[in-house]
Amino acid sequence: MRMHRVRKRLRILLGAAAAVSMAIVALAGTTGAAAPSDVADQAKAKHYKGTRAYVVDKETGAVRMPTQQEVDEVVANLSAFGQRPTDSLQESTHATGAVVVDLDGGFNGVMLARPNADGTWETKCVFTLEEGAEFLGLVEDDSIR
Amino acid sequence: MTTIRLSRLILALAALVATAAAATAGPAQFVIVNVNAPNVGFNDPTPAAPVGGNAGTTLGQQRLIAFEHAAAIWSARLDSAVPIRIRAQFTPLAAGVLGSAGTTAVAANFLNAPLQNTGYHIALANKLAGLDLAPTIDDINANFSTNFTFYLGLDNNHGPLPDLVTVLLHEFAHGLGFSQFASLTSGALFGGRADVYNTRLFDAQQGLFWPQMTNAQRVTSATTFGRVVLDFPRVTADVPKVLVLGSPTVQADAPAAIAGPFQFGTAAFGPLIGNPTVSASVVAAVDAIETIGGVTGTTTDGCSPFANAAAVAGKIALVERGLCGFALKARNASAAGAAAVVIYNNVANVNAAPPGMADDGVNGAFVTIPAVSLRRADGLSIAAATAPSMTLGIDPTVRAGADALNRARVFAPFPVQGGSSISHYDTVAFHNLLMEPAINGDLTHKVKAPDDLTLELLLDEGWTSPDADGDGFADDEDCNPNSDTRKTIIIGDNDSGVPNTLFGTGCTSSDLIAQIKAGAANHGGFVSGVAQLTNAWVASNIISGRQKGAVQSAAARSGF
Repeated sequence: MRMHRVRKRLRILLGAAAAVSMAIVALAGTTGAAAPSDVADQAKAKHYKGTRAYVVDKETGAVRMPTQQEVDEVVANLSAFGQRPTDSLQESTHATGAVVVDLDGGFNGVMLARPNADGTWETKCVFTLEEGAEFLGLVEDDSIR
Repeated sequence: MTTIRLSRLILALAALVATAAAATAGPAQFVIVNVNAPNVGFNDPTPAAPVGGNAGTTLGQQRLIAFEHAAAIWSARLDSAVPIRIRAQFTPLAAGVLGSAGTTAVAANFLNAPLQNTGYHIALANKLAGLDLAPTIDDINANFSTNFTFYLGLDNNHGPLPDLVTVLLHEFAHGLGFSQFASLTSGALFGGRADVYNTRLFDAQQGLFWPQMTNAQRVTSATTFGRVVLDFPRVTADVPKVLVLGSPTVQADAPAAIAGPFQFGTAAFGPLIGNPTVSASVVAAVDAIETIGGVTGTTTDGCSPFANAAAVAGKIALVERGLCGFALKARNASAAGAAAVVIYNNVANVNAAPPGMADDGVNGAFVTIPAVSLRRADGLSIAAATAPSMTLGIDPTVRAGADALNRARVFAPFPVQGGSSISHYDTVAFHNLLMEPAINGDLTHKVKAPDDLTLELLLDEGWTSPDADGDGFADDEDCNPNSDTRKTIIIGDNDSGVPNTLFGTGCTSSDLIAQIKAGAANHGGFVSGVAQLTNAWVASNIISGRQKGAVQSAAARSGF
């Protein structure tokens, strides 16, 4: 019986603690501390063009050069996933002293693939637009800047 | 005063939650949060035939099952009282983009943090804190492409297609802790703090750990090929179980102006570097100028049979990258009788690191000589040198992908590769590792030694493995995850009083007796089996003769 009471008290305490913990997070203030600078100009508008065939054509199954639209789509994906924001991240400090920085969807690894002649694929995990562009043979196109 | 008391109460209650959670921790629960709209991605109703153990009957089901399978592999090896939530979706991504994943947040200075003022991936921080530090957000983001045809089976029998489960294991590992956050261009630490990964990054050339460095030193370190290692104890301990002896080296021997080691890339075809070691003069290959796919090549690209085969024979052929695949160049060098081939970057890759050279599935089978890639600057320096010679060999005392102290090397090419430098194992690792930058076709779904070193790193960072019986053996390495861990050997209701020994397999004396019981046809067989076992224990000085008698007596009285 005594054990039962102890367990019941523990459950009540745990429930209260969990509720407080939730409140801590919910009420956590944002300090506005910024994340450090990284590839600062990554988000800037860069124009790329394709220099190697890596697109498997859905109609023919053949490997071909990317269209400009397809290049732009890759650049958009890499920019979004691999972004390393310089000043937009918010740092929350909890009452417990814990600090949490929401990465806002950035800092992701991005897995890319380009086809080999035999139908196999070469893959690479990249974290930035620049290294992804290099893997897929995309080069900056100054002519359309 | 009230505020102080409230803070103390909060801290005390939080500690209570954490303690209780830690006590009940088990295999981490991975929650795949499907954020796809109806009929899209995970909810795609397109009929699909079951494949490779994936019993889903629609494309969406198969994608979800593959996600759950990858999550289950990590779940079996990591414990946490806090569910790990993966915000997941399949969306139409660009051609060439398979998908992305990563941690959603970084936490520091939380309750139970092993290192203060150090950033932790949020799932790991939650595990260590014993509570969800950021309950309003999920822990890992994952977005994969509906436009790409993955192998969705669970058996790794992926053929030519990228294996989704393997890709997910890799990307989830990044989200769980296999990545660092310092800028590789400025050297600045993330938020001014080290993180749990780069805390143990050691630059053997500078003799410093990353948090000890200035920003400028970190920038330099990020491109110090072969000299940046992870100084984590479990990883280092298991390197000999995973990586083979023989670290490949590529160096110029003459003339003196270019002598020294080169940063290099390896090939997925042909014999390994050092098999055999090649020391020879270097001769630039000359071939015809051909046109492939409307692009005209050069006399240095090695894309057609060498015109100077006689000069190349027995020497190291120097070939420029471009126009055709690496394997064809190496095949042509083999056909010319070269002893090895060195392929250096072309103008289009003037600032690129030496690439890992993939097979094209056709020509690699005809390559009989070692092949390496070099930076363009290094290739040009060899081409311009008088009577250059090189050695492609191995250091037989060092493991491929580690340093002389068995510390695992990280990927640190020059020039720096954005965020993937440092946050992967080195590409020279052999055999191949899950956390190299590329997903190599020979990877398995196993994440720890003797197949891999990913789990070891996560454990070094603070993850722990599920251990249901608390005997110190992870469940997946424990011969009995639910051992009888009572202090003495008790058979039925009969306490022998003999200490219950925990053996190096994770089984106890009582476990072994229970195994005999399970296999015995009758009481006599059980008693006989226990007699044999205890005799062996006496012979091994595990118990005394008197203790043997006590155990055998307990077995005899048990009535089993």
